[in-house]
Amino acid sequence: MIPDGYNSGDLLWLGDWGPVWIVVLTLIGVLVIGVSAYDLRGLKPLRRFTLVTLRALVYLCAVVMLLEPALDLKNISRVKNHVAVVVDTSESMSLKLDEDGTTRMSRVHEVLPDLAPYIEQHKDDHIFHFFSYGEQAEGILQSSREELESSSSDGKFSDLGSALKAVDARFVEEELGGVIVYSDGIDSGAMGNRTRRGEALDSTSKSFVESLGVPINTVAAASQEGLRDVAIARVMRDDFAFVHNKVSVDVEVQVIGVPEQPLTVTLARGTEELQTRQIQLTKDQTLYKVRFEFVPRQIGQEIYSVKVPVLENEALITNNQSMFLLRVIRDKIRALQVVGRPSWDERFMRRLLKRDPNIDLISFFILRTGESLSNASRNELSLIPFPTSDLFDKELGSFDLVIFQNFNFGPYNMRQYLPKIEEFVKKGGGFVMIGGDLSFASGGYARTAIEEALPVGLPAGRGKLIDTSRFRPELTKAGLRHPITQLAFDPATNTQLWATLPEQRGTNIVGKALPGATVLATHPKLRAGGKPMPVITIGSHGEGRVMAMTTDSTWRWGFESLGDGGTPREYQLFWHNAMRWLIKDPELKLVKLELAEDTTHPDARVEIGVRVSNSDYSPAQNRPGEVVITHTPHTPTEQPLTLEPLPIQTNSAGVAQIEFVPERTGVYELVARVNDEQGDPLEDRQLVLVVPDLREFQTIIPRDDLLEAIATQTDGAFSNIQDASKARSPRLLEPRTVKVNRRKVIQLWDSALAFLLIMMLLGAEWTLRRRWGRL
Amino acid sequence: MTTRNRRTFLTQSMSALASVLGAALYPARDAHAMGDDDHLKLAWLMPDGSEPGTRTTALRRILQEVEKRTSIKVDATSHVVTIGEEMFDYPMLFLSGSGDFKPWSDEQVDHIRLWVKGGGFLVVDSHEALADGPFLRAARRELARIYPDDKLTEVPGNHVLYKSFYIIKDPRGRVKAHAPLEAYFEQDRLSVVLSPMDMLGAWARDGFGRWEYEMSSGNETEREYAIRMGVNLVMYALCVNYKDDQVHIPFILKRRTWKVE
Repeated sequence: MIPDGYNSGDLLWLGDWGPVWIVVLTLIGVLVIGVSAYDLRGLKPLRRFTLVTLRALVYLCAVVMLLEPALDLKNISRVKNHVAVVVDTSESMSLKLDEDGTTRMSRVHEVLPDLAPYIEQHKDDHIFHFFSYGEQAEGILQSSREELESSSSDGKFSDLGSALKAVDARFVEEELGGVIVYSDGIDSGAMGNRTRRGEALDSTSKSFVESLGVPINTVAAASQEGLRDVAIARVMRDDFAFVHNKVSVDVEVQVIGVPEQPLTVTLARGTEELQTRQIQLTKDQTLYKVRFEFVPRQIGQEIYSVKVPVLENEALITNNQSMFLLRVIRDKIRALQVVGRPSWDERFMRRLLKRDPNIDLISFFILRTGESLSNASRNELSLIPFPTSDLFDKELGSFDLVIFQNFNFGPYNMRQYLPKIEEFVKKGGGFVMIGGDLSFASGGYARTAIEEALPVGLPAGRGKLIDTSRFRPELTKAGLRHPITQLAFDPATNTQLWATLPEQRGTNIVGKALPGATVLATHPKLRAGGKPMPVITIGSHGEGRVMAMTTDSTWRWGFESLGDGGTPREYQLFWHNAMRWLIKDPELKLVKLELAEDTTHPDARVEIGVRVSNSDYSPAQNRPGEVVITHTPHTPTEQPLTLEPLPIQTNSAGVAQIEFVPERTGVYELVARVNDEQGDPLEDRQLVLVVPDLREFQTIIPRDDLLEAIATQTDGAFSNIQDASKARSPRLLEPRTVKVNRRKVIQLWDSALAFLLIMMLLGAEWTLRRRWGRL
Repeated sequence: MTTRNRRTFLTQSMSALASVLGAALYPARDAHAMGDDDHLKLAWLMPDGSEPGTRTTALRRILQEVEKRTSIKVDATSHVVTIGEEMFDYPMLFLSGSGDFKPWSDEQVDHIRLWVKGGGFLVVDSHEALADGPFLRAARRELARIYPDDKLTEVPGNHVLYKSFYIIKDPRGRVKAHAPLEAYFEQDRLSVVLSPMDMLGAWARDGFGRWEYEMSSGNETEREYAIRMGVNLVMYALCVNYKDDQVHIPFILKRRTWKVE
């Protein structure tokens, strides 16, 4: 019986007695009863029982008084918990469901008011909060039902997992009673990626949704009924590839509502169609995977696109194409070393190249000529024919660098391949001719295509083609600081170092350097065209680079110098630098354009860094220049447009930082232009691919299966707006927190009634005991 | 001018023209060689500075064979070097002899170590034709000082040394090897090879073209195989493991996909 004004009562024991004391008191009680029963053994059983019972009751009352019983009366009420109503406002919700223009979002707008009666009905137990997600990469935005009933759907993100996590964080201090999600189920976040269409919720996602500890009720805004679309859902590839190495691109094509038919998927590089793959659409399959494999042809950036044809009545056509930018880099320098005869120069060069893990070397040595005697059958010799056609016709383009080391082409019917080598250089290959009696003019290269590529002229007459005297090459002004001949940073030390290198044993006679070529070292005595004869000369031929080294004894820099107490460092450094320069190693560029991202979306900021070095590779400080940006739209009918150049000025570290915001889709070519110390122009260029932000549209098939799986996993209810038969009321947890409005504690032991009861029991026991003849 | 004279004139004119054209297109090698410094030279390593007493023609003869059989240009002059700076003019040296020899000084050991590690190739050949004779025992003793952390190992039968020019299944010198060649390796390269086969004995030939030493088997045709071993040693010194590359080329090319499909 609880008094008025209270709705809850509990019995309390105020006595501070521990369990040990309770046991002791119980044992004492048993002992008292046992002793009494034994003491009263002479009485009749009824009398004996009566007395023992009275004594037990007295003892019990005493113990109860010791425990101090009390009545705890309370007036309590329950505290409402919180319910989060989360609405997906990402762009995919703007997709039309039918030809009337009804969108997924408008369907949500229609049903949100239906939530009002439910909210009214449960207002005593729950407080409803409204949020949207999709506008930002992560989290939720506070909203209201009224706002959501007219909300737009232009968010670029649909990370449901992140939204649920944000809800959990928002109510971490309060009691959450449930979540109600309105969405089409498309989840571009981790949960959507982990759980593939048609598959059960993965274990990580299961653990995550369960960790919220509340039912997650989901309302699907759409189903795939009537939807018709073909989409490049995903393109899986690496950000960079190695030139001449196979690249794989895996493409997922999502198809819905399209009858059984073949579908062509096309891979294109720029405007050039590279490959096609045919897939056969079937009724029960929505996801198709195709793989493209191709070999990038040249180093640099290339724009690729994967596309499928636009079908009639497609829900969306912008997702029929996906573009990407592939950065093609060199994995190793692929060098072809062709040697006319084995020699120490060849041996030490080969050893140097073979030991370099960055060089993939293919050597070909002429071990035997037509003049050589043969004392053995073919089977006893380990020789193979010189594969001129394979090397210089079929495979030449796969090399970065060709080294002709004391090699004469004449005996091998190679004249027809010399123009191909010249063409190889013109297209960007590197070529170096190293001296010897089979090189340069004495190798018969005068008036050939090779001479056109070389940076020095060759004497054509029958005069002296070789000088056998020993000499030390002398650095020119350019050679003092050029990375190839810069064996020491300080020019004076560099000059001194070159003066102590072992002497070269003879040189080929060459003419003067051609216009545009750079002479790095000259002969101390021989002259060509009135100037010291070039010994080390570099130059460009078309897109490629060439080098002429007129001696065949640089190996002595690496071996003979050991005997003089030196090291092979100079030999190694010289040739490593030469190889790097010949293949245009990006690290040796004097101006470098650096971008944080090479693929972006319209109106996203692009940060540009321009790093400028002096010719000695020290930072070029306070160097002015500009970045010229040319926009080439994706639509072929529009002409490229060059924007206003952005001025730059390098800082003390030789770096200039600028930024620009591309406004339209297309390819933006950025060219950084700076002059070097001599005023000669330097430039570097990079591409930026600007594509529409299609993350929301790469897959547009509603994921009601994902929503249902989440609801099922958390004991929530799943409904589909398009299917009234699946309408379910949300399941929410009852509030667990209560609030005490009033409280009263009545101490039951502290009363005269309890005292009188004990006294009466004691008196009755005493009276009866006396009457029945006991003292 | 008689008919005969006209024919002679025409013939001589055509010959001269052909010579000029031929020379212009393919200049003769000897006419333009970079000089003796450019040619392959071999030398004896004589730590005590003495001259080799026997087999003095061996290196000259093997160089001549190398030039005859391969594209390599040689300087077929006998050279002798002591341990010191001049070793570094010769990346390939021969140490041959018989009998024990006195230990090298620490400085000499350091010099040879620098030479082999820098790229030198030393061929040690015993005149005794004994795998465990006094000469090779002394050589092993001194080489162990050069390579204190490495062990002398057998040159495997499939090593590129045996296919650097000729395919050699049964290496031999003046005597047939009863034990395999031994070597020290510098990474993947042979830096020192020990031969008990008296290869130099098989190569030595006097000024009249007579072989100086009989083949132990008495079979002169076997001398050809000893010369082939010498050619392979020289070719290996110059090309190292090039012949291994050749085996790999088809695989390297296959590994790459050259063409865009």
